[in-house]
Amino acid sequence: MDAKTSLLPPVAHGIFSMPPYDDAPPALLGGYCQDCKQNFFPRPKYCPDCLNIPQESALESTGTLYSYTTVRIKAPLGLPSPYSVVYVDLDRNGLRVFGLFDPQVGDQLKIGLKVKLAVGPLGNDLKGQPCLRPYFRPMKSN
Amino acid sequence: MADVSVIGVGMTPFGKHPEKTLVDLGVEAAYLTLMDAGLPPKQVEIGFFASGLASRLFGDFTIGQNIFWGVGINKIPVVNVENACTSGSTAFYLAYNAVVSGQAEVALAVGAEKMYVPELGLLNSGQTELETQLGRVAPASFAMRAIRYMAEFGATSEQLAGISVKNRRHSSLNPLSQFRNPITAKEVLGSPMIVDPFTRLMCCPNADGAAGILLASPSITKGMGRVVGVDSAVLVTGNYENPQDQIRWETDYRGCRTAYEKAGIGPEDLDVAECHDAFSICEILHYEAMGLCPTGEGAKFAARGETTIGGRIPVNTSGGLLSRGHPVGATGIAQIHEIVTQLRHEAGDRQVEEAKTGIAQCMGGDKEGDTKSCTVAILSV
Repeated sequence: MDAKTSLLPPVAHGIFSMPPYDDAPPALLGGYCQDCKQNFFPRPKYCPDCLNIPQESALESTGTLYSYTTVRIKAPLGLPSPYSVVYVDLDRNGLRVFGLFDPQVGDQLKIGLKVKLAVGPLGNDLKGQPCLRPYFRPMKSN
Repeated sequence: MADVSVIGVGMTPFGKHPEKTLVDLGVEAAYLTLMDAGLPPKQVEIGFFASGLASRLFGDFTIGQNIFWGVGINKIPVVNVENACTSGSTAFYLAYNAVVSGQAEVALAVGAEKMYVPELGLLNSGQTELETQLGRVAPASFAMRAIRYMAEFGATSEQLAGISVKNRRHSSLNPLSQFRNPITAKEVLGSPMIVDPFTRLMCCPNADGAAGILLASPSITKGMGRVVGVDSAVLVTGNYENPQDQIRWETDYRGCRTAYEKAGIGPEDLDVAECHDAFSICEILHYEAMGLCPTGEGAKFAARGETTIGGRIPVNTSGGLLSRGHPVGATGIAQIHEIVTQLRHEAGDRQVEEAKTGIAQCMGGDKEGDTKSCTVAILSV
């Protein structure tokens, strides 16, 4: 991501970490309850089991595609048309998360595809302004 | 005699009603329901009105009072209900609870929706929810279930199309249904792709329409004809746990299991079923949750004709959401309307022979890979 696009606002605050803000790769920000040893995405205000406050935790940014689809009618939120969405089983923590898929490579969608999180300009926010969204894209190792 | 019985049902035709307001539609359904029961309005002791979208589309709220007063019902408790696609069946659930608990001898539930308006886009689960902002629209949620199901069990697009064809054939026999011209699998597969793998004819159409149902306690129903007993009315909410299995849908299975337990019957006792076939994959998943066939067998079960009128357990004899149309607030009551019509043996050319026991299953809303709401009702004569 270049300096100009990195100035775009995120689609929502606190759901992903933003390079080059730090040097780590982009990651979804979930929650972790230290008492219940449970991971969440998105981070709930309170742990649904013990009502303690989960701490923010950067989730594993790689995973495996569980399912997918491509939306071929008029796209909402200034997203490209068509656009694709996926469920990804994240490596290690067991979470199955919903997200967008890289619209440039929609033809690579298949169950079992290894994917990695990216962040970039994709569609508009609720005010109609271009914004950054997290999305998954195929890993080179596929 | 059942603790709670249906003594009246009423329904407007589902379709385009540009000349009628939402209140007009609701009043018409309430009128037809009272006339069907032959009960004066002043005998109704509590009323529930359901609409899923009125507040969003028209900025209208607390319209139940307008609708009930339109048929001369005033002074009693009136509650306005919103629970996404289960808004209507949730109103039914509340009416059932009011009667079974002894709060009221007679309870009226009405659901209405007006969806043929220019500004209606694809339904989602709320503009501000994170998943909506990440591109989730209602058809995509079910499409991902379909693609996973097809991969796990080898189901085909032709089998998905078969559900639409069957429900349209049923619909052709239902004068209140919106789309009544038969269609072929080729036409279903050839219609425009909406969300892979669903073509337009695998997605339920919008509709304007309203439906009502009147429930009463044994002291009222004694000596009445055409009464249908309510054996259970269940409402459950999603578990929202992660990960969500998109095929073995815990909330759906739990809702159906609870309804069977409360009714004291099993799926083998059913003669007819209505379920929430918003997209053709839904009907297949709901067969399995309702226990009509084992998990993974639903597509083949339908392809063998088991769920067609004349088959082992006819499903969506009304035409279902896929052909009747889906006016969100009315759908849950329209499903029960169909079961009541079948159990009264008043379904005309689509009558299921010797129908004595039926089920109506509905679902509403998306949340974290789960549904927000699932209702199941079991009725019998």
